[in-house]
Amino acid sequence: MSENQMTEATKTAGAPGEPYRGTTTGTESIVTLSKITKTFFRGSEPIRVLEGLDLDVPNGSFEALMGPSGSGKSTLLNIIAGLDRPTSGAVRVAGADLGPMSDSELARWRSQTIGFVFQSFNLIPVLTAAQNVELPLLLTSLSRADRARHVATAMRIVSLEDRMHHYPRQLSGGQEQRVAIARAIVNDPKIIVADEPTGDLDRKSADDVLTLMERLNKELKKTIFMVTHDPAAAERAGVVRKLDKGALQ
Amino acid sequence: MNLATYARRNLFRRRFRSIMTVLAVTVATVIFCLIRTLVVVWHAGVDEAATDRLATRHKVSFTMELPKHYIDEIRQVPEVKAATWANWFGAKDPKERVPFFAGFAVDSDSWFDVLDEMQVPPDQLAAWKQTPNGVIIGDLLAKALDVQVGSRLVITSDIYPGDWDFKVVGIYKPLRKTADRNSLVLRWDFLNNDPRAGFAKDKIGWLVSRITDSVHSAEISRKIDTRFDQRDDQTLTTSERAFNLSFLGGFSAVLGAFDYGSLIILLIMTLILANAIAMSVRERTHEYGVMRAIGFPPRHILGFILAESVLVALVGGLIGVGVVVLAINNGIGPVLEENMSGFFPYFRAPLWVLGLALGLSGVLGLIAGAIPAWRMSRLSVTDALRRID
Ligand SMILES: Nc1ncnc2c1ncn2[C@@H]1O[C@H](COP(=O)(O)OP(=O)(O)O)[C@@H](O)[C@H]1O
Ligand SMILES: [Mg+2]
Repeated sequence: MSENQMTEATKTAGAPGEPYRGTTTGTESIVTLSKITKTFFRGSEPIRVLEGLDLDVPNGSFEALMGPSGSGKSTLLNIIAGLDRPTSGAVRVAGADLGPMSDSELARWRSQTIGFVFQSFNLIPVLTAAQNVELPLLLTSLSRADRARHVATAMRIVSLEDRMHHYPRQLSGGQEQRVAIARAIVNDPKIIVADEPTGDLDRKSADDVLTLMERLNKELKKTIFMVTHDPAAAERAGVVRKLDKGALQ
Repeated sequence: MNLATYARRNLFRRRFRSIMTVLAVTVATVIFCLIRTLVVVWHAGVDEAATDRLATRHKVSFTMELPKHYIDEIRQVPEVKAATWANWFGAKDPKERVPFFAGFAVDSDSWFDVLDEMQVPPDQLAAWKQTPNGVIIGDLLAKALDVQVGSRLVITSDIYPGDWDFKVVGIYKPLRKTADRNSLVLRWDFLNNDPRAGFAKDKIGWLVSRITDSVHSAEISRKIDTRFDQRDDQTLTTSERAFNLSFLGGFSAVLGAFDYGSLIILLIMTLILANAIAMSVRERTHEYGVMRAIGFPPRHILGFILAESVLVALVGGLIGVGVVVLAINNGIGPVLEENMSGFFPYFRAPLWVLGLALGLSGVLGLIAGAIPAWRMSRLSVTDALRRID
């Protein structure tokens, strides 16, 4: 992929009516969590997963979050991404205070701000690669032609322009995850959250996916927050944080 | 692609399950249409009976006969415009080409004046009055017996022994679709003069009269019956509709039970559909979680599931209606009309029944999808994402 294609992507992949929101300076925080607690209940027994957690993620950074299984990594990522709400504490992401937002406001905010990459790819099996990538754009007022253009660009960025009309089952695991990444960036989100994106991949495919994420960070200036327990994956990130016993070490 | 693409693709994701579900809806639709048609058709004959006609029979039983002179007395009732009479002949085709048809011995001078839903060309009617052994038959019966005007026709009877040698002098056509096109009428005087009918000499089976005022038919009926109150043979006069119903009494009750059966079938269909949709939705919990994460609001999830449920139901309903049109309206319906027109002069599923069946399948699809759809749309995103079924 050429430098030109990347530039084109940043130009075209903006939501309608919204100019591309530059993410150039690395000094301001794009994620600010303060005194976050999260308690689940199993029956009447409380499970305290996060206990007074503070976090600052600078705009444009690529961060990896590690920690033992069950330590609350996914819970933390879900709170940042506006999928879940903390039991207490304040969440500020991309200039928005998530606390007072209603569920539907939060859904809308997610569709414009966050790109999701999951461990198990989570493509819709009955839709082609291109249709999977187009899915988030159905929530915008973009025309069919504009949507097609955005999809083509995103597919080009992940180097799968020749797999547009394949169904997920016709793709390898690595290709599926790259389609998922195309789906995550097609809306030009400010932040990409990835929960164990290489967990289900072989080494070679995992490396391809990580290289792609690195380039999304460097060339498209996306802030990336990635949960992983793969040391090779964490190595690619600029910052590695460790979660243990409900707080960041 | 649009949102409907996804709902449509989901439809046949589990092909076998979808086909079985569609089939269940199809079968339910066909049975529903069949039962409704049966009910409608059965009542049509009764509903369309002329309201300005009364039937008078023996008070004790319609198998008992009345003296012939009752006709003259009934004609003297001021509200009676015209009256005629008939005897049951128990006609049978000796060659058994037609399993059942109605045969009456009637008064050739007045029968078709009162039973005016059957149309006979005037020259044929005139010929009948000149031909003692002449018969006039329905157009369908003529076809089934392969006779034309002028043909000889030999008939046997349940009641009177031997062969009855007739000449077809006329063929009547129906003016209402419920008119029995498979009946035969012979001349009452011809029967009455035959020694084989000597045991019922000068007796008549029942009387049919046309009255001036259908609104007051009950009073007129009472007036007729009062006239014969003090005689040996008392009468029971009812509307022709009620007279027809008294023949059908038992069957109407069975039909009523059937009618409830059709509702139960719809209920079972809804449960089958609801179960299939609930299974599919459960399997896709994680997928709906992904869509919610991407930003799809709960009402979209609700819409996907309801659309899928309604689509499955409508596909099944549409196939069912197609089957009914092909197999009943263009299949067994015409066959029943030809061979059993005494019972089913007209046997087609009316358009409104087809429409009702299709509409109901859609509505029941909506109901079947409602609970799974509502539950899924209420699930939190993280719960849905954690579910990996
Ligand atoms: N919805 C929930 N209800 C109850 N317990 C939960 C729920 N989500 C997470 N947990 C619990 O919280 C803890 C942290 O979960 P998670 O964030 O998924 O950990 P990690 O991603 O680090 O493996 C686990 O003990 C898990 O069982
Ligand atoms: Mg996890």
